[in-house]
Amino acid sequence: MKQSKFNKIRMRETVISYAFLAPALFFFCVFVLVPMVMGVVTSLFRYNMKGMTFIGLDNYVNMFKDEVWQKSLVNTVILVLGSVPITVLFALFVAALTYEKNPITRSFFRCVFFLPVVTGTVAVTVVWKWIYDPLNGILNWLLKSMHVIEKNIMWTGDKKFALWAILIILITTSVGQPIILYIASLGNVPKDYVEAASVDGANDLQIFWKIKWPSLLPTTLYIVVITTINSFQCFSLIQLLTSGGPNYRTTTIMYYLYENAFKRFEYGYANAMGVVLALMIGLISFIQFKALGSDVEY
Amino acid sequence: MRKILSLGLAAALLTTTLAGCGGDASETKQAESGATTAAAGGETTPAAQAPAAGGESVEITWWAFPTFAQDSADTPAGTYEAEIVAAFEAKNPDVKVKLETIDFTSGPEKITAAIEAGTVCDVLFDAPGRIISYAQNGKLVKLDDMFTDDYVKDVGNEALLNSCKSDDGSYYMYPISTAAFCMAVSKQALESADAMGCINLEGDRTWTTAQFEEMLQKLSAAGFNGATVYCSGQGGDQGIRAFVTNLYDSQVTNDQVTEYTLNDEGGIKAMTKIKEWVDAGYMLNGSAYNGGEDVDQFVAGNTAFTTLWSPGLASQRADTLAENGIEAIALPFPSEDGVPEMEYLVNGFCVFDTGDAARAEASKKFIDFICNDEEWGPKNVVRTSVFPVRQSMGDLYPGDAQMQFYASLTKYYSPYYNTIKGFAEMRTYWFPMLQAVLNGDSTPEDAVNDFVAKANQSIVNAQ
Repeated sequence: MKQSKFNKIRMRETVISYAFLAPALFFFCVFVLVPMVMGVVTSLFRYNMKGMTFIGLDNYVNMFKDEVWQKSLVNTVILVLGSVPITVLFALFVAALTYEKNPITRSFFRCVFFLPVVTGTVAVTVVWKWIYDPLNGILNWLLKSMHVIEKNIMWTGDKKFALWAILIILITTSVGQPIILYIASLGNVPKDYVEAASVDGANDLQIFWKIKWPSLLPTTLYIVVITTINSFQCFSLIQLLTSGGPNYRTTTIMYYLYENAFKRFEYGYANAMGVVLALMIGLISFIQFKALGSDVEY
Repeated sequence: MRKILSLGLAAALLTTTLAGCGGDASETKQAESGATTAAAGGETTPAAQAPAAGGESVEITWWAFPTFAQDSADTPAGTYEAEIVAAFEAKNPDVKVKLETIDFTSGPEKITAAIEAGTVCDVLFDAPGRIISYAQNGKLVKLDDMFTDDYVKDVGNEALLNSCKSDDGSYYMYPISTAAFCMAVSKQALESADAMGCINLEGDRTWTTAQFEEMLQKLSAAGFNGATVYCSGQGGDQGIRAFVTNLYDSQVTNDQVTEYTLNDEGGIKAMTKIKEWVDAGYMLNGSAYNGGEDVDQFVAGNTAFTTLWSPGLASQRADTLAENGIEAIALPFPSEDGVPEMEYLVNGFCVFDTGDAARAEASKKFIDFICNDEEWGPKNVVRTSVFPVRQSMGDLYPGDAQMQFYASLTKYYSPYYNTIKGFAEMRTYWFPMLQAVLNGDSTPEDAVNDFVAKANQSIVNAQ
């Protein structure tokens, strides 16, 4: 009898829990889960404006043979490998320099580095377009004034510079949030530990590696994962600045996916790219969790 | 009791949320269609004036790119279009038009997404490149009934009429206005460089590639920048394509518009020459500029000429040119034999097939009003800053010598290839080809051959 009543209570609690979860679950299913499943299913079809024809794995086979997709993959990996370490190190550096400053100075630096994040990609990109303009850009003017260069450089149109020009913008728009997080995280490191280590004769480097760094690992894991995902999904910068050029030098997987879906109307092929990109991001995030997450103490 | 209350609250929350997600369950209007026929001479037929069957009001949606000029540069987009809608609704109280303005940057993506989602508009104001592509994919309503014998006779331009047809022979775009794309030079720059003698200001202002090259040399010697060979994206690509094909009398496609032929002797020679000019500093590598940005550089006085110009652009940029003290001289593209082949713009309307006959008929009635109403038809053509497709409208720019020059270029119209199957895909190969040549990734011959192979494959892909 007692067991039956207990089960009834548990059942009621379970129902109530699911009832509260239901609205969020509904939106998750409709706007995330169903489109994901549809994306996977339609990637198996020749799907365009005319209709859908089942072609099995042909989209995937064609994709791996596609030279432009291969270039896009390389460009995307370069952007990820370039932006993630620089973002993490630069954010840590700025945070370490500013977190012990007075609140006004700290807020000033937070504001400066967070401004590109809250400004919006389009506005930021337009400003960078002016900076990089080959004829009237301030960057060429500055470098010529300093006698670093003699002739104007076409930053976003020259095959030697275009991807690096994109990488710089990506980094400037990515560092804001990590700096805020690191400043908050460094502020939470117990001062007692730092003082005790200092009394015991530890130098600044030892204090950082032995005391502060372990406390920063959860934040670092979050920053690495989020920056990696954002870098893999780099799209709007490319669309607004280079359209993937010159000659596919800045085409990323996301941009090529967009081009296939919205310029060529090859929705199935684009979805196959989306599926592979999602798998790549999932796999790399998993590895990052395994590599960095094992030492994380929450 | 508390748990029952919690359960009730959760259920209420769920119900409210789900109710909020629901849209209006509006009834689909299935009024019978009445024939709407556009008549030449600015008159609408009785069928076009008839109210929707059953006296019900029909609501249609119009998506408009910013093709109509507004009263001033400060006037918000869509203001003039709203005036058209108000005038139409006053004459047709049975039809309500919901106006949405879209821009050339994100508009095409919005249309594509809406087509797949089934939320596309009824009426779209655009150009044949996209419209015929939608028609080839079975998304549009046929407009054959609007192309009466009188109307076809009034237009009297087979190439232009063909640009409104899909490969099934039916009309899907109802044109309102047209003009050739051309180029423009800065009078001040040419005078400073003593290069005015290189251009021809008589008659149709036609000139040769040799004269153009001489102009480049003089401009360069005087320290002026030539135009950018713009190719950072698709924007304005028709201008630079026409420039390339004209230099040595090549063609993008064959006359039947069934195959790309740019890799002929003239096409390869033109690309080779352009590469030489860029390397010599006569023209600028435009891998970082699209068409609009090339025009920006020209009107700002940073370059001495542009290969993307039209009466519409001249009108839009008139204030900036005046501020910068530049007088733009419009010219046809130079060609080896001095006889240009011009690409041209056609503005027109299409009706998306929403499965609702009443909305389709109301849409046709609306298009008929915009293009053929006695008061609003000519006014609307002038707002596109180009020329009416209907000859019966006559000269809408009397006494304007500039517009008379632009009008004279219509006789040089080349085969209209924007309606070829796979046109949208071909455009994605064009600018990487130019970038490959200008940045030395490929020889001009290899790059053009590769482009033509991919472009021809796009025709096959679109079958």
